[in-house]
Amino acid sequence: MTRFVESTITFPYKRSLGPVTGAFMTALADKRILGVRNGTDVLVPPMEWDPATGAELAADLVEVGPAGTVESWTWVPEPTEQHPLDRPFAFAFIRLDGAANPLLHALDAGSPAAVSAGMRVAPRWREERIGHITDIACFVPGVRSEVDGTDVGGPGQPVELMDYTAAITYSTPVLAMADHALAATREHRLIGLRCPTCDRVYVGGDRPYCPVDALELGADAEVELPNAGTITNFIVVEPVQYPGQTVTEQFARVFVLLDGTDVVLTYQPVIDLPVGDIHVGVRVSAVWAPRDTPVDTFSGIGRPMGSLLGWTPSGESDVHDPDLVNRIY
Amino acid sequence: MIPCAVVGVGQTHHRSKRRDVSFGGLVREAVFRALDDARMTMADIDAVVLGKAPDLFEGVMKPELYLSDALGAVGKPMFRVHTAGSVGGTTGLVAASHVRAGKHRTVLAVAFEKQSEGNAQFALGSGRGASLGAGGSFAPFVRAYIHRSGAPEHIGWTVAVKDRLNALKNPYAHLKIADISIDKVRDSPMMWDPIRYLESCPSSDGACAVVITDEEGGRAAAADGRPPAWILGMSSRSEAGGFPGRDPVRPQACLQCAQDVYQEAGITNPREQIDTAELYVPFSWHEPLWLEAHHLADEGAGWQLVDKGQTELGGSFPINPSGGVLSTNPIGASGLLRFAEAANQVRGAAGEHQVDGARVALGMAYGAQSQYFSMWIVANNLQPFG
Repeated sequence: MTRFVESTITFPYKRSLGPVTGAFMTALADKRILGVRNGTDVLVPPMEWDPATGAELAADLVEVGPAGTVESWTWVPEPTEQHPLDRPFAFAFIRLDGAANPLLHALDAGSPAAVSAGMRVAPRWREERIGHITDIACFVPGVRSEVDGTDVGGPGQPVELMDYTAAITYSTPVLAMADHALAATREHRLIGLRCPTCDRVYVGGDRPYCPVDALELGADAEVELPNAGTITNFIVVEPVQYPGQTVTEQFARVFVLLDGTDVVLTYQPVIDLPVGDIHVGVRVSAVWAPRDTPVDTFSGIGRPMGSLLGWTPSGESDVHDPDLVNRIY
Repeated sequence: MIPCAVVGVGQTHHRSKRRDVSFGGLVREAVFRALDDARMTMADIDAVVLGKAPDLFEGVMKPELYLSDALGAVGKPMFRVHTAGSVGGTTGLVAASHVRAGKHRTVLAVAFEKQSEGNAQFALGSGRGASLGAGGSFAPFVRAYIHRSGAPEHIGWTVAVKDRLNALKNPYAHLKIADISIDKVRDSPMMWDPIRYLESCPSSDGACAVVITDEEGGRAAAADGRPPAWILGMSSRSEAGGFPGRDPVRPQACLQCAQDVYQEAGITNPREQIDTAELYVPFSWHEPLWLEAHHLADEGAGWQLVDKGQTELGGSFPINPSGGVLSTNPIGASGLLRFAEAANQVRGAAGEHQVDGARVALGMAYGAQSQYFSMWIVANNLQPFG
């Protein structure tokens, strides 16, 4: 059975709201809902342009609602974490009084029997507002808006920027050949796949094909690779601090040409080799994790591959070859 | 094949943060400048092509759908292009292909990036730690170029100064370093050895838009006293990012893409027949490196053109008169900016950074591990070589 590796990445993005959405969000914090005039119509939420033609709209903002009429709806019987309410509710298209188009929002009505097209609803505001569409906690039956608790107010200044934290979870299949190569590293062996057409060797098994000849490489292509080589080129990085960054200190990655082969291992970590001492021609040998240590089974650019932790100087004298530096791949 | 021409060019004022505009506001700033330049409105556009870097940069999935109404594309064909850093260039090529094929008469190409709303290092590291960033990825290529060409280290500083001086003449450019100097570049911090801070591109918010139309539209613009840029050649190529023996200093995809675009444009001696080029140079050393990989200088001799000042505005072969990627880098738009600036040169519309008498220009963009390439050749008439 194929093994999957799950990984989640998240990032706190920013959103510049611009003059019109910014004004809309600022008004929400003040418990007011704005639309924009588009000819004789009022669009809610307001936009900078006519959505049908793209024509620029003058930012002629007008207040609408707060009450409105349900035009259409659907019941959400089992809300998830991402839904606006933690109990069953309706998503409803609500045409606010004075608006030409409906606004999509949550309607807290208790049961689907209590919802119907044509019913009148009004916003339930959050007690503390930040200038976001969720400042309206939901809509409720009736024509009187309410505050969900004690009215704490808003930020008291124009809202120009919105935080948007995105998260995505990947489930990546690990090919059998990749697992086979990882298992070999646990025995302190490095294996590759040799293309029968061009003789190029590809290390590891996460991409079991030759991109030059467009050929899939199977178990019969397997070759054993040496544990020693020469640094051909390198990267020294001053890490930029971003959300999700795992390093704070300057770090290096090296390219290692394996002895007696045409194989360059790219973006390899170095061990016991200070950044200032890295240069083209340094002889290195593989450093392995002890056989019983758990290893990172996710390989990728610049990460250790299984039990192969990196490369350390072997103490032999440098190789002097002017072509070495060109062996990046 | 239907001849086609650029009749409108627009770009935003580029900054590290354009917090004053939404995504829609940003692209529309460029689009309306391009439409005004073409004396057109959104109603004249038959199809829209949008390009930008990976969605991870801003965290907007399918930005082409999100932005269709802002781009006036409702009810029209709308396309998204993505070829890493070369995407802006490819966006221009895809738009022009629709016109060439006779499918649409007038197509709008738009490319943008709002880098300040995310983080490029995060995105380039696929959202994980220890990202190498673009500088880290390209530093070994630069080291190999320096070793094999024997170029002295001041070449990198020279390009960095030249492009920033050019940017001072470009009202839209992001970096304006009035006191830029060799000393200043040389004394700036080493970021990704051998690349220094001031030898690197900035991170920008910005957009670019280009209106491409057919021969009739091009001739109408010319008759109206608004010179078009005729697209004489266009090509894109790619190659696998890493295989034993791959040479990222002279990638096959680049060499072949350049040969292909010259052949289609009828160019037999690129160095003589092309008057100026906008090359994608995010790190200063890429100027001599690309001169060689585009058959514009002999192998190992690109740096000598730089050293002799020939690539300066006013030199015999000006490169990046706009200030280039080194001065302005809204990643997804950076390629289209190269194509647009090349077009403006042959239209005589480049303003203060105009190359005198430019008739034929090359626009180029590349991306990822120097593995995606897009190029076009534009000229001030359909038969510039007689």
